[in-house]
Amino acid sequence: MTVSALTRPGERDRPIVKFSEIDWAFCLFLCLIAGIGAMMMYSAAPQSWLPWAAPHLIRFGVFFVIMIVLAMVDLRVWFSVAYIVYGVALVLLVGVEAFGYVAKGAQRWLDIGPIRIQPSEIMKIGVVLALARFYHGLSGDHARFSWWLLVPAAMIGAPALLVAVQPDLGTAILIVATGVAMMVLAGLSLRLIVAGIVALMVAAPLAFEFLLHDYQRNRVFTFLHPEKDPSGEGYHILQSKIALGSGGLLGKGFGLGSQSQLNFLPEKHTDFMFATLAEEFGFVGCFSVLFLYGAIIFMALRIASTSHSHFGRLGASGVTATFALYVLINGAMVMGLAPVVGVPMPLLSYGGTVMLTVMIGFGLVQSVRVHRYSEVTAGRGALL
Amino acid sequence: MSEPSIFFSEVNERQGVFTRRAFLMGGLTGLGLVALGGQLVHLQLVEANRYAKLAESNKFNFRLVPPPRGLILDRNGVTLASNRPNFRLLVARDGGMDVETTVAELSNLVPIDDKRRIRLVKDIKRAPKRSPVSVMEDMTWEEFSRVNVRAPELPGVTADMGEVRVYPHGGAFAHVIGYVAKVNDKDVKAAGANPDPLLYNPGFRIGRQGIEKAFDLQLRGKPGAQKQEVDAKGRVVRQDPRGDIAPTPGKEIRLTIDVDVQERALEVFGEQSGAAVVMDCRTGDLLCLLSAPSFDANRFVRGLTVPEYKALNEYERRPLLDKALSGTYPPGSTFKTMVALAALESGMITPQDRYVCGGAWWFGGRYFHCWKKDGHGAQNMHDAIKNSCDIYFYQVALKIGPDRIASVAGPFGIGQTFDIGITGQMAGTLPSTDWVKKHRPSDPKWYPGESPSYGIGQGLLNVNPLQLCVMTARLANGRKALNPRLVKSIGGVEQPRGSEAPDLPFSPEHIAIVREGMAAVANDVSGGAYRQSQLGLGPIKMAGKTGTAQVRSYDKVASRKSSSVGWKLKDHNWFVAFAPYDNPRYALSLLVEHGGGSGATEAAPRAREIMRTVLLKDPELRSLIEQPMPMPDVDPGADTEGAAPDLPDAAPPPPPGAPT
Repeated sequence: MTVSALTRPGERDRPIVKFSEIDWAFCLFLCLIAGIGAMMMYSAAPQSWLPWAAPHLIRFGVFFVIMIVLAMVDLRVWFSVAYIVYGVALVLLVGVEAFGYVAKGAQRWLDIGPIRIQPSEIMKIGVVLALARFYHGLSGDHARFSWWLLVPAAMIGAPALLVAVQPDLGTAILIVATGVAMMVLAGLSLRLIVAGIVALMVAAPLAFEFLLHDYQRNRVFTFLHPEKDPSGEGYHILQSKIALGSGGLLGKGFGLGSQSQLNFLPEKHTDFMFATLAEEFGFVGCFSVLFLYGAIIFMALRIASTSHSHFGRLGASGVTATFALYVLINGAMVMGLAPVVGVPMPLLSYGGTVMLTVMIGFGLVQSVRVHRYSEVTAGRGALL
Repeated sequence: MSEPSIFFSEVNERQGVFTRRAFLMGGLTGLGLVALGGQLVHLQLVEANRYAKLAESNKFNFRLVPPPRGLILDRNGVTLASNRPNFRLLVARDGGMDVETTVAELSNLVPIDDKRRIRLVKDIKRAPKRSPVSVMEDMTWEEFSRVNVRAPELPGVTADMGEVRVYPHGGAFAHVIGYVAKVNDKDVKAAGANPDPLLYNPGFRIGRQGIEKAFDLQLRGKPGAQKQEVDAKGRVVRQDPRGDIAPTPGKEIRLTIDVDVQERALEVFGEQSGAAVVMDCRTGDLLCLLSAPSFDANRFVRGLTVPEYKALNEYERRPLLDKALSGTYPPGSTFKTMVALAALESGMITPQDRYVCGGAWWFGGRYFHCWKKDGHGAQNMHDAIKNSCDIYFYQVALKIGPDRIASVAGPFGIGQTFDIGITGQMAGTLPSTDWVKKHRPSDPKWYPGESPSYGIGQGLLNVNPLQLCVMTARLANGRKALNPRLVKSIGGVEQPRGSEAPDLPFSPEHIAIVREGMAAVANDVSGGAYRQSQLGLGPIKMAGKTGTAQVRSYDKVASRKSSSVGWKLKDHNWFVAFAPYDNPRYALSLLVEHGGGSGATEAAPRAREIMRTVLLKDPELRSLIEQPMPMPDVDPGADTEGAAPDLPDAAPPPPPGAPT
């Protein structure tokens, strides 16, 4: 197919063309990470496809298909459902507050028939879509500094507050950070950014003192002084560091990590999956996986910056920001650089919800790539 | 593209800002990833060794392997204390285990009554997590295998084979060897800041008395370790035999005691209470150190019940007291040997000097009686010892005074304690003018009236049976101030011999005169214990001296006979002896506590039996007694297979002339 063919009007709407426009290298990297994750789950089970490795692979397969399908969905469709997704997620979040299922002392789930939804995960996509759509219709000047900025602030603040009171501080921070990243990308005034950073530095200690739950505060204390309580709260961090460090350069070998095999490593298949990997495959394994993550983030950002529409740019970069935050926060936590927060390593860790969020997000990213030349119409008025 | 796209003039500007900032965001993310990479380098490359060690220490646990306790053997290698296998049932509290259910389950497998069950549940709950509590000791093989089969489904339950101390000779060695018992808080405290981890091992027993206590550290050995791979819950996943450290067994202790002599000694006491000590009067080795009645030390290993202990403790013949070392008694007439020697040494009395015995002697406003109412007539020293004439020794003692007696008796061991390795010796009292000054401050003067009693081994004088044996051995040796030795070797290292001692500062001729007197006691038909001292061992004869020590005043009683009074008021009966009398090898002292007879009737026959055993165990002496047996010619090649199948495991007695 020649370039001239692709420039023909309507040519890019053909499904086969769309399919070929998907970034398959990107997809391969996703598969690699999920595959490595499944491999480690097999090792940690120990040496068994159940209970983690097989469901992880099956789930990834299903979500991969969903991602491909979503990649073919016209960016204008994404644009038109943006507020609806956001609205539904917001309603569900309120619903969780009202009828939520109490799990682990926090209301995070909503049972609808056989499936259990975590609205905060939908909201991660919802916020990205809604912000992208809003900024799409906002002039650069307004995006820089104007009263209009109260709208995205509210769009971020409302769900973040609802998630924070669940309490799921990790997700709330993720939503706020993603939203703020998008505001910055959309052209937020540098002065405002600096002011925000200053305000954050002032507010953080106060928030730590007055807003955090005890268990959250303890996690921070534990992070700062893990050696004080090696068998209690500090246990997770210490054991994770031992798993990583004892892996050395080449690791202990597949299925031979004592920290994970003998269960010294807590949550070895979910939040601390990276430590399991680190123990058995060492620095080489860790570095390779981090490289894959870096590559995915880089590719996604490239897709964002090549989009012709502002909606596409912001949507793709928003998803990338979420993904990058996942990776950095989990990595820092596992390596003892951050307190223990319930943030998994996306695609590597076991767990359906986060994988679903990430794969839907990447569906949007791929859609942005497939439709990078399409112009997205503005709706009616600035807001819509 | 049917709908017109919106097209703002600043679209390109928005795109420019986005691209710049996306670049920035990518850079920040990259920076974050580099930071993570840096931490990876730090953890996995720089500090890898440290974390590898931590992972190892997570993964491996060392289980203490208790060392076998050192054996205690007699002089010929017969086992006096050893260890036998003990099938134990242990329960260690584990996370999430239900103690009640587990113990209830176990009571279906092994007999545990309700009372014990309640006690166990309490004990297990109180014990630190994962430290095992002994539920049952000495299970039968059936019980052991039954528990072992079920153990995998009962978390925290293990059945293992430990070792338990066993004393095959029961009571004969209870006082010398002592026993081992459970460790208590005091033992742990006494172990100091860094107690031996063995103390916390559930099967471990600590030495409580005698040799077991005195040489506990040597007998204990050093624990080994078993390397085990454990999971996060502490459950054993794998054993790693290459990582095992073998325990160092406790040292073997060989005593100088001869098991046959010791057992014979216990036997001859029967129901009576007392002590017997036998010493080699050339080397100082103690062949017998016995206190009767005794008790079964094996009961103490298991742990005595309160009524059991009470019964032992309250019995008037005090089986728990080691009378040979810790009991002090007036030596009675056995002490006349010392008085006689002191008299000779003083030069104030010659052997020929005579005192007339009329049955009583008036001194200080009262009569001093002789044991023989009718009196002995005129007595020289030889006769006075042979007849044990009290009147003679009253007057001699009065003449030479207490200090001369003490200055002779002291070097002979009276009033002394000896380093025989075990504790518990009571020095008794060797009175002198100095002694009363120091120990009787309310009445520091020595009264002349005290001397006559001193002369017959009464009054303030108090000795223990070991001292009397040492005295006899030194008399018999005649030259060396022999020291008793109880421990022959520790872990194969020979201990200093008792013959490595200074010479006695007394004239051998004088000592020989005393010895002659003692020989006459046993061998002169008119001697005090002639009938009771006949060994019946051909040419080998014994020399001895009887003693009857009163424990009550005879002043106001019609009869001196003990038959009419309670046990606690009866006289003590002594006999000290050595044999052969012409070439002394063994010395003996024997006490029958409150025997109620005389030294000749109660003590001498028992002493004779023990002495016979001792002499017959000496191959050199035995060859003197036994006529050489005509041996049939034996074909040396034939039947060597079963040459001596029934011989006991004990080492053969040392060849004649070999150092012992």
